[in-house]
Amino acid sequence: MRWLGLMVVVVLALALAVVLGPAHVSLADLTTSDIVRSLRLPRALLAFLVGGSLALAGAGLQALVRNPLADPSLLGLSGGAGLGAVLAIALHLNSPWALPLAAFAGALGAMALVYRLGLVGGAELDPRILILAGVAVGAFTAAVTTALVSLSGAAELRNAFLWLWGGLSGASWDSVLLLCVYAPLPVAVLLAAARPLDLLALGEEPARHLGADVEAVKRRVYLAASLLTAAAVAVSGVIGFVGLVVPHAMRLLWGHRHRPLLPAAFLGGGALLALSDTVARVAVAPRELPVGIVTALIGVPVFVLLLRRWTAS
Amino acid sequence: MRRWAHRTHLAGFLLFAVAACGRESRHAPSPGRISVVDDAGRTVAVAQPPTRIVSLSPAVTELLFALGAGDRLVGRTTWCDYPPAARRIPSVGDGLNPNIEAVAARHPDLVVLYRSALNETAAAQLARLGIAAVVVQQDRLEDIARAARLLGHLSGTARAGDSLAAALEQLVASSRVLPPPSPGRPRTRVAFVVWDNPPVVIGAGSYLDELAGLVGAANVFHDIAAASATVGLETIVSRDPDLLVLLRDSATAEPPGFLRRPEWRAVRAVRQARIVYLSGSLFARPGPRAAEAVAEFRRRLEEAMP
Repeated sequence: MRWLGLMVVVVLALALAVVLGPAHVSLADLTTSDIVRSLRLPRALLAFLVGGSLALAGAGLQALVRNPLADPSLLGLSGGAGLGAVLAIALHLNSPWALPLAAFAGALGAMALVYRLGLVGGAELDPRILILAGVAVGAFTAAVTTALVSLSGAAELRNAFLWLWGGLSGASWDSVLLLCVYAPLPVAVLLAAARPLDLLALGEEPARHLGADVEAVKRRVYLAASLLTAAAVAVSGVIGFVGLVVPHAMRLLWGHRHRPLLPAAFLGGGALLALSDTVARVAVAPRELPVGIVTALIGVPVFVLLLRRWTAS
Repeated sequence: MRRWAHRTHLAGFLLFAVAACGRESRHAPSPGRISVVDDAGRTVAVAQPPTRIVSLSPAVTELLFALGAGDRLVGRTTWCDYPPAARRIPSVGDGLNPNIEAVAARHPDLVVLYRSALNETAAAQLARLGIAAVVVQQDRLEDIARAARLLGHLSGTARAGDSLAAALEQLVASSRVLPPPSPGRPRTRVAFVVWDNPPVVIGAGSYLDELAGLVGAANVFHDIAAASATVGLETIVSRDPDLLVLLRDSATAEPPGFLRRPEWRAVRAVRQARIVYLSGSLFARPGPRAAEAVAEFRRRLEEAMP
C-alpha cells in the first residue's frame, strides 16, 4: 500500500513535469512538441535521477556517520564542485561540457581530501572526523571560490554563483544518458549495503560481532554516496534539502530498516525534485525560481506533517 | 540680465543649502560654494570646482571625460577602460565595495560613486573624512542626462553638461515616435542573453531594452519589469526570438560553448546561428556614447537580418 502510494506520487510528479511548463503545449500536441521532447522530458527525468541520487546518498550517509544531520552537502563535495566550476569560468574553458566536468573534478578532489583526512585517526573511517573534514574542506574551498570571484576581473564570475545555487536548466538527453550510465553502480553498491547498514545502526562494535565487515562497508558506502553526489552536483549544481529531509521522511513511513528505506528514499527524492522543479518553472513564469528554494518550501511542510503523524501514533 | 539670473540661481542654491543644513545641522555654506542634491538625496557642496576627482563607476569616468573633466581624474575603477586615456589613471579597486583608504590616498576633493547601498555607506564615510562624495544613479538612458547636468554643475563644466543632457533627452524623445525600421516589415524580435546556466535575460527595466526600442527592435522579454531575470530555456524557445544578442568584450573570441550544448539547440536562433555580439564597454553602461550605441546596434541588426 505504501509502495503503491509512493509509485503513484512518482508517476504523478513525472507526468506533471511533462504536462506543465511556462510555454503552452496542448495535451494533443504533447507527443509531437519539440519543447516537450527536447526540453521538458529530459529535464523531468534528470530532476528525478538527481533527486533520487541525493536522497539515497543522504540516507546512506546518515546511517554511516550515525548522525541525523548528515547531508551530502556536509561532505565538502559542493564546495569542491563550486571551486571547479569557478575555475572553469575564470580560465575561459569554452567547451560546452567544461563546466560540469570541472565541477565533477572539483567534487572528486574534495572527496579524496575528505577521505584522506577521515583516515587520519588510524585505518578506520571515523564518522566524526569525516563530518569535521567535510565541513572544513567545504569551508576552505568556499573561501577560495569567493576570493577568486571577488578578486578576478571577469564580471561573468558573479554569475557562477547562480549556477552554484543549483538548477536543472542544463538538462538534455545527453546529461540524462550520462547519469543513466554512471549512477547504477554507486546506487547498486548502496542498495547492497542495506543489511550491514542495519547492523551498523547498533554501533560499530556490535556490528562487528554480528559479522559485518565494518571497515569495508563504511568505505564502500562513503565512496558510493560521494560519487553519486559528485555527479548530481556536476549536472545540477548544489540542490540542498533533498538529501537531508527525504531520508527522514521515508524513515517515518518505512521505519529504520534499510532494505525498504534506501529504494524508498531514491523514489521519494526523485519525486520531490521533479515536483519542485515543475513548481520552480511554472510558479512565477516567465521567470524561474531557483529549485533549491522550492524543495525547501514543499519539503518542510510535508516533513512536518509526517512528523506530527508519527509522534501522534 | 545674465548676472541677475546667475544671482537668483545662486540664491536658490543658498536657500536650499541652508534648508538642507538645518536638517542635517551642518555648518552653513559660504557664498560661492557649489551645491547639488545627488541621486541618493544627499546634499553635496564643494568650495570650488574640484581638481582631483576619483570616479568609482566606468559610466561616470566616461561621462567626466565627455564633459571635459577627464584631466582632473586621479582615480578610477579596474573596469574603467573607455576612453583609452582612462587607462592611464591609477585604479583604486573594482568600485563595488570601495576601499576607502585607497580612495583617500589619492587626495581627491570629489569622489563620484555609483548608487548602491554599499556605496552610500562609503559616501558617508568619505564625507566624515571631509571628502565630498556624490552618488549617481546611471542605469537607464534617462539617468545619463540627469547625471550629465549634475556632474557638469559640480565640476564647473555646466555648459558641456547641459548640452550633452539636451542631446541625450532628444535621443530619448525621438524613441517615442520611432517607427519600425521600414514600413510593412515586422520588428526584429531579440532576446538579450547575459548568462546561460541558468539562462538570465534582460527585461524592460534595463538600458539594453531601451536601446532595442530605439533601434525599432522588440525585446521578447519586455514583459519582465526587472532589469534582468532568470527564465526557463523553454520560455526562450516559445518566445522564439529572431536573434540572440550576447554581450562580450573581445570581438575576436570564438562563440561561447553553451551555444553548442544540446538543450540550447532547441532555440531556433541558435540552430540558425543568428547571434549578434555587442561590445560590453559600449552597451552595458549607459553613457555619453548612447547615440553611438544606437547606431552600432542598428547596423549590427541590419547585418544579421538583411
